[in-house]
Amino acid sequence: MAKILIVDDEEHIRFLYSEELADEGYEVATADSGFQLLERIEKEKPDLVVLDIKMVDYNGLDLLQDIRNKYYDLPVILCTAYDTFKEDMKSIAADFYVIKSFDLTELKNKIKMALETKLPGE
Amino acid sequence: MPEVHLEENPQNITSAQMVVAIPSYREAELIAYPTTQAAQGLKRYFGDKQGVIINCDNNSDDGTKEAFFAAETEDVPQIYISTPPGVRGKGNNFQNLFRKVVELGAEAVVVVDADLKSITPQWIKHLGEPLFNDFGYVAPLYVRHKYDGTITNSIAYPLTRALYGRRVRQPIGGDFGFSGELARIYLASPTWTEAVSQFGIDIWMTTLAMNNNIPICQAFMGRPKIHKPKDPGSELGPMFSQVVGTIFDLMVQSAGYWMRVKWSKPTSIYGFGLGEVEMPPPVKVSQDKLAENFRMGMGTYREAWRTILTEPIFRKVEEVANLPAEQFDFPTQTWAKLLFDYAGAYNRKVMDPQQLLDSLIPLYFGKTLSYVRKTERMSVQQAEDFIENECMVFEETKPYLVDHWVA
Repeated sequence: MAKILIVDDEEHIRFLYSEELADEGYEVATADSGFQLLERIEKEKPDLVVLDIKMVDYNGLDLLQDIRNKYYDLPVILCTAYDTFKEDMKSIAADFYVIKSFDLTELKNKIKMALETKLPGE
Repeated sequence: MPEVHLEENPQNITSAQMVVAIPSYREAELIAYPTTQAAQGLKRYFGDKQGVIINCDNNSDDGTKEAFFAAETEDVPQIYISTPPGVRGKGNNFQNLFRKVVELGAEAVVVVDADLKSITPQWIKHLGEPLFNDFGYVAPLYVRHKYDGTITNSIAYPLTRALYGRRVRQPIGGDFGFSGELARIYLASPTWTEAVSQFGIDIWMTTLAMNNNIPICQAFMGRPKIHKPKDPGSELGPMFSQVVGTIFDLMVQSAGYWMRVKWSKPTSIYGFGLGEVEMPPPVKVSQDKLAENFRMGMGTYREAWRTILTEPIFRKVEEVANLPAEQFDFPTQTWAKLLFDYAGAYNRKVMDPQQLLDSLIPLYFGKTLSYVRKTERMSVQQAEDFIENECMVFEETKPYLVDHWVA
């Protein structure tokens, strides 16, 4: 089963996402900040990253750039409480974005789509 | 394919690491500006590379060549190459460029339009730098007015994204970068057509980069593209059928590729830190003209539409045509299926290809009218979200294309 890395500085979100995604059969790892995120990705080798945009010490959009520069095709789903982030063009390097909610249907659908995405020759 | 008719290479340049190319036809009035900006970009950001600016022209008789050579280039060498007299076409200029790039052994090529008024030296940096960092193709990313680039918004972007699985927002942007290696792939490609030798060239290059799995990035330009925007209701010309015909030709040639693509992926983005984003100037659209062109098409092309479209989509188009002006709406899923029907009909050669493409134009006007009405009160960003949602509809509807491709 696919491995998902959840990067969020809110503990209850990490807990909720971990529980629900584990119930879906995913292997889940978590990170509570963007600190050394690339090293963490290198170590965990996730199939997909769920990334909070607004963390206390890190801007998720900058982290997205770092991830995309090193891992061209690693799926990243942005999570946010506000959709104003779309005004920043950096956001289009994400596979999808979801508005944070306690109903994770949308997030689960996007995870499924991102993991299903297939290009010949990869 | 036409050969180079004329080459002027006053500095006798025989090799270069980086080329900035400016394709043109009768651009004497405007070409000096992008030439000077290109030279500044090469000097400022690629000073350690051997650079050259090439004007690829269609033998213009208005003094384009003289204006190009007269532009201030801070000693950056210039080369002028031209197609033979009477041979027009942007793609023919590119064919000459590909040959020259290979001959010079260049590693990186940046192309900018000759009528650009908003280009800065940073454009050269942003389109060129990724080519020295493992990317093979760089597409531009600029803020455009919601009514500028309607062929891109309604056809080229959603179709290429759904077909080839890469989200390149401006696949026919006109300004881009590509590697010397990709120039060789272009030169060797057997997919060249008459439409590619004209305005089909941009979508051809982007599509070949995608289906050759070349690493693609999009470079943020910071400033909007300011050139000569056109009212989509009154100025379309043969560009439409050259672009759409090329998309359909490539679909026929690469069906084995796009049928295996599921959903789509983003690309890397390059070139931030340019400060505040400048908003594009407004583009005027005549809704009356769009409506008139669409409704006239119903009279002219009704039988062609009946032949090309599946029965439910033909009925839906009739329904749309009969809507009162204040309720006019061309549903996105109908538009996606309609384009897929057209592509399938093109593949199956149900009629003369030019007639088929001509019959699509009024439908495109109808779709554009619907887009203009729906986004009338939207900001540029909201219109972008709208287009992104339309792209998702195309991706979700793709199985319909696979089902209708051959039957």
